[in-house]
Amino acid sequence: MEFISLVGGSFAMLLDPLILVYVVAGFLIGTIFASIPGLTATLALALLLPLTYSLDVTTALMACASIYMAGMTGGSITATTINIPGAPSSMMTALDGYPMQLQGKGALALGHAALGSMVGGALGAILLIAIAPFVAEASLLVKTTGKFSLLAFAIVVIVIAQRGNMVKAGMAACIGLMLSTIGLDAMEPITRFTFGVADLTAGIDLMPVIIGTFAISEILMQASLAVDSNKTAEALSKVTIRRRDFIPPLSAIREIGVVCYVKSSLIGYFVGTLPGAGGSMGSFLAYAETVRTSSNPESFGKGNPKGIAASESANNAVCGGALVPMLTFGIPGDPITAIMLGVLVINGIQPGPQLMSGQADLIAPMLASLVFSALVLIPLTLFLLGPYFIKIVSIRKDVLYGVIALLAVVGSYVATYSTFQMIMALVMGVLAYYLRKDGFPVITLLLGFILGPNLEEFLRRSLALSNGNPLTFFTNLDSLFFIILTLIFVYFLAIKKPLKSPVSDG
Amino acid sequence: MRRVYGYMMMLLNRNLVFLYLVFALSLGYLITAINLGSPLSDGRVEPSFFPILLGLFSVTFSAILVFREFASIKRSSQLAEDDSSVGKANYSPLWVMLSIFIYIMAFQVVGYFLSSFLFVLSIIVIFSSLDKIIQKTIISLIIAALGYLVFEQMFGVRLPALWG
Repeated sequence: MEFISLVGGSFAMLLDPLILVYVVAGFLIGTIFASIPGLTATLALALLLPLTYSLDVTTALMACASIYMAGMTGGSITATTINIPGAPSSMMTALDGYPMQLQGKGALALGHAALGSMVGGALGAILLIAIAPFVAEASLLVKTTGKFSLLAFAIVVIVIAQRGNMVKAGMAACIGLMLSTIGLDAMEPITRFTFGVADLTAGIDLMPVIIGTFAISEILMQASLAVDSNKTAEALSKVTIRRRDFIPPLSAIREIGVVCYVKSSLIGYFVGTLPGAGGSMGSFLAYAETVRTSSNPESFGKGNPKGIAASESANNAVCGGALVPMLTFGIPGDPITAIMLGVLVINGIQPGPQLMSGQADLIAPMLASLVFSALVLIPLTLFLLGPYFIKIVSIRKDVLYGVIALLAVVGSYVATYSTFQMIMALVMGVLAYYLRKDGFPVITLLLGFILGPNLEEFLRRSLALSNGNPLTFFTNLDSLFFIILTLIFVYFLAIKKPLKSPVSDG
Repeated sequence: MRRVYGYMMMLLNRNLVFLYLVFALSLGYLITAINLGSPLSDGRVEPSFFPILLGLFSVTFSAILVFREFASIKRSSQLAEDDSSVGKANYSPLWVMLSIFIYIMAFQVVGYFLSSFLFVLSIIVIFSSLDKIIQKTIISLIIAALGYLVFEQMFGVRLPALWG
């Protein structure tokens, strides 16, 4: 209850013009990046991460929260108007959004998407505010062996969530873990894998890893794709959107029904709590469930607003869900929460069970910003800027990548003012580029890198406490709980047959 | 003889080369980890324990990937088709890598403004062409200047001397 009132009180911080500017700017940048095919809100956050050095950590986290929420919403703009989802989480939105656009109801489809995002985002954030303190309290019961099993569970789930690509996901996680072992050993004063390079003694910084993995590799990917941006611009030039068409009529909202919004939001929220699941899985499951329970399933994929509402409610609710493991256990669920974790780490704040109790005043404003973004910024941005989004999305790609490249490389310099970190960012970018080209999911690399030091520390401590007896992981109840949970997830995600696409020819 | 040549070509398939590299890195990591010392001593876990475990996993995963890729190439027997389907090579990513490398090397020597202007211009040209170069030069100058304003003026980042 105390935490809820703390979040409530944090809304007052948004009255500070400077904080409000950062939150609104973050939301706009997130929306623009998410709506441009080839760019993502993760890239936006990776590029802006170095700038958070000069910001107060609370303000930085509030801006991150608004970018996160915008990232889940912005993808629906091009998904609806030109059938190219700006973000993977909007793939299911395109199934019904684009047919509506072809029927001349594109603006209405965007209105439904915004309403779904608003409801899902707000419900996800409210659930997070209500549940996170209890999870944080429960997480205090997890001791050393349990912490190791929990981290191992997170890595296993992230890997097996990449269905059909598990060996590559496992390999990428191993590369991330290997990179995390470079430098001074955490428990004994010896260096490992530095090969005499003094700059590696302190290990590889998180910043070049994030910038390399998400920004530089993206520039290289786009350079290799040689996408014809003229085609996108041409398709967009045919789209006209009027502001008054955005507002969905009450009858259509009633037809979609409160149950659809709430159920999809809950699905999105719980999917979000799973490491590695992300917005696309949330919207897919919610869409599948909506089609399954609909009395008119054949109307989906042909411009049914209920499909848009389900998809968008779910992917925005993922934001709230994904922050639960990040805030309570220090386990990021997706790339954006991993970067948000980076913001905490570079500001010297250790995420984990103590965070919610010890530094709740830092976290509460971020959650207030999440609610504010969902309830105020989503509808306001669409209404005020909606007609201009199409023009923004048509921006020249060469100029855009020139700006992104500059921000990425100079950004990697900001952390330590050293050329070495810039080189590390380039090395990580090249590595991530070739991994991505070969179908390796780089998110598992990043999470392996982030979770690696703690995984090793808790493994060694657990074994030290039990005189090297590995059975300690089965005899401690907290650890046994996570081992059983891991087995359950392995069964459902890796062994059991997957769900079929709800719209077969979509 | 032709069969041996075909087999050799299969082993040198583009998709396999990267996986060989991953395997070699994993193996190198494992060997270095083993050289760190014994993983256990008097029931105590040593600094090499986790890297050895990790190295074993990595070598296993990378070996599976190499064998799987090799089997899939062999099964599909599309080597000749693959070779003929290779279109015009796209060197843009390599140019981008080179531009970033040169930029990093020049950043502190030449200073922020000149190096950034040339870097942005090179990226713009790589993503488009040399057409309208004057317009692109002006855009690059503006981007470099805006970058300076954002980093140095707004966020207080100390950039290398403005003009070198």
